[in-house]
Amino acid sequence: MSYIKIDQNKCKSCYLCIDACPYKLIKKSNNTGTTGELTVEFSDTENKCIGCAQCAIVCPDIAIVEVNRE
Amino acid sequence: MIEKSLLKGNIAIARAALNCGCSCYFGYPITPQTEIGEFLSLEMQKRNLAYVCAESEIGAINMALGAASSGQKVMASSSSCAVALMQETLSYAASDELPIVLVNVMRAGPGQGYIYPSQGDYNQATIGGGNGDYKTIVLSPSSVQECIELTYKSFYLAQKYRNPVILLVDGLLGQMAEPATITQNPYPDIDTSSWRLDGAKDRPSRNIHSLEPNQNKLNQHVLKLYQKYQQIEQSEPDWEEYLCDDAEIILTAFGTMARSAKAICNHFREQGIKMGVFRPITLYPFPYKRLRELSFKAKYIIDIEMNMGQMLKDVRLGVLSNSQISFIGKPVGDWLKKEEIINAIKNIIKEQYASI
Amino acid sequence: MQVYSIPNSIKKDSKFTFCKGCDHGVAIKIIAEIIDELNLRENTVAISSSGCSVLLYDFLDIDCLEAPHGRACAVATGVKRAHRAKGEEKFVFTYQGDGDFASIGLGESMHSALRGENITAICINNTNYGMTGGQMGPTSIMGQLTTTSPLGRNKEYHGFPIKTAEQIALCEGTKFSARVALYDVKNILKAKKTIKKAFECQLKNKGFSFVEILSSCPTNWKLSAQDSHKKIAEELTKIYPLDIFKDTIDD
Repeated sequence: MSYIKIDQNKCKSCYLCIDACPYKLIKKSNNTGTTGELTVEFSDTENKCIGCAQCAIVCPDIAIVEVNRE
Repeated sequence: MIEKSLLKGNIAIARAALNCGCSCYFGYPITPQTEIGEFLSLEMQKRNLAYVCAESEIGAINMALGAASSGQKVMASSSSCAVALMQETLSYAASDELPIVLVNVMRAGPGQGYIYPSQGDYNQATIGGGNGDYKTIVLSPSSVQECIELTYKSFYLAQKYRNPVILLVDGLLGQMAEPATITQNPYPDIDTSSWRLDGAKDRPSRNIHSLEPNQNKLNQHVLKLYQKYQQIEQSEPDWEEYLCDDAEIILTAFGTMARSAKAICNHFREQGIKMGVFRPITLYPFPYKRLRELSFKAKYIIDIEMNMGQMLKDVRLGVLSNSQISFIGKPVGDWLKKEEIINAIKNIIKEQYASI
Repeated sequence: MQVYSIPNSIKKDSKFTFCKGCDHGVAIKIIAEIIDELNLRENTVAISSSGCSVLLYDFLDIDCLEAPHGRACAVATGVKRAHRAKGEEKFVFTYQGDGDFASIGLGESMHSALRGENITAICINNTNYGMTGGQMGPTSIMGQLTTTSPLGRNKEYHGFPIKTAEQIALCEGTKFSARVALYDVKNILKAKKTIKKAFECQLKNKGFSFVEILSSCPTNWKLSAQDSHKKIAEELTKIYPLDIFKDTIDD
């Protein structure tokens, strides 16, 4: 099972990762981040993540700290 | 024994720099200091050292800033209006605590002025034209021999205190030849391995910067610099006294002007007048304390400069006695003649020394 | 298997302090990745400048020296030459904004290129002075609204912008000059490949290498991160084409 790790303290809620994920596995969370907006969270109930790391590549804040591929 | 040879001030400075291990020079032509760069261009290339004919004085001093971060002995040279261009980077170097030796062979100003003799950069050097609270050490030679010795000292003090040092040379001295000896550098090398930038190998990475967004940290940084300046002011003031012990009249002068002052002093001594000469060698730190001590015995302090009285304010700060402080000066052109100065002095002292 | 982690050359626990969505973060991240891949960390001195790019030393775990505004290429020249005087070749690169590299520092930048100084310059072009709040810069495009071109840049009143990568390519000492962008994954990967090539140009001791990075400034453009990238893709790349303008590394 592939997965990513997001550092909530680093996320500035730009949402570039939401657009980058080919399977739409990243969405807004309920957590308010440092910019006063909702941070993002990874949710992959159907094990769709392929560990392509596109989310991490576009993240300007190194908030996606890990991508693990099965 | 090393023999004396006839040496021009500019060449003496360049040779002394090479002699004490200066490995990086950056410059741009401007009269009357150009011979320094000309001489070093061949000598440094022969030794595979760093020499860049920079695109401007701004380029040159910033190359010096970069080179200084390597911990090596770095020099730039220029003159008056072009040293004005370098002031921003001197402020950075002081804040970054990077050792740069900057030679200013002065010409006359303001503005482009001309290549006439003048000592018009006393203020620029000692007060500084850069922004913020900072100081540069300033050394002032009065002979070609001293150009050599103070070049050595400039490199030593720059590295010892990790601070820019200005060697402030009269244009006259840069261009003048007189017998001098290229002595050995008497100062030890300073270990720069604790701060220099040479790649983060087997140690944490380092950064050198002057930007500090944190107010408290910036305050602490400036206070730390001032602790260093205080130490410099305690340890490094240097001066020459000529017949000052019993002097009732003290002439103050720096650089080559002090040589004229000594000749004038001899003239008055021959007439039985107790005159002496006090010459600051470090213009920053200015030798206030010694001048203060001497001034308590003096009726007159007469400051002589080839400018409109720039060192005069430091003389005034130093003198706390009731001595009368006067100024004789001329901003530009032919060096003040002995007779001119003698007449001016007679005018000042005539009330107390009616006999002369 | 971990296929992505924060590059080693990024300082541990560092948090980028750029505005939300700013491309500076991506640029610094890929530079750190290249430093790791080429194993340069222990032999590098980086030069940062004034503006948002000054903060480089807060994030990169390498030796860094800050240059006065515009003087990064002159400072880099001094660093490179000084180490060479002791017989050591250090890897030296600058990280500058477009105002720093191509306006106040154009003299130092271009003369470093003309001399063929063996350094690499990275220039973030976001078409305005970002840190001071979005004033017109040397790269602001015609019609661009900034706080000092409130009616839009116009050629009669403000004059023309500079196409930096094209100009630097004209210098004889330049061996590599390119413009890249960071608006999507494909371009980020391409940018990384291009910067790596510029770094290798220096490692091969060939001369001046330059990469201009077309970057977003969402705060001053008053656009979202997404719309900023759209603006770069659809508008700015037409004016500032993405290309390699010179590559004579292997000549």
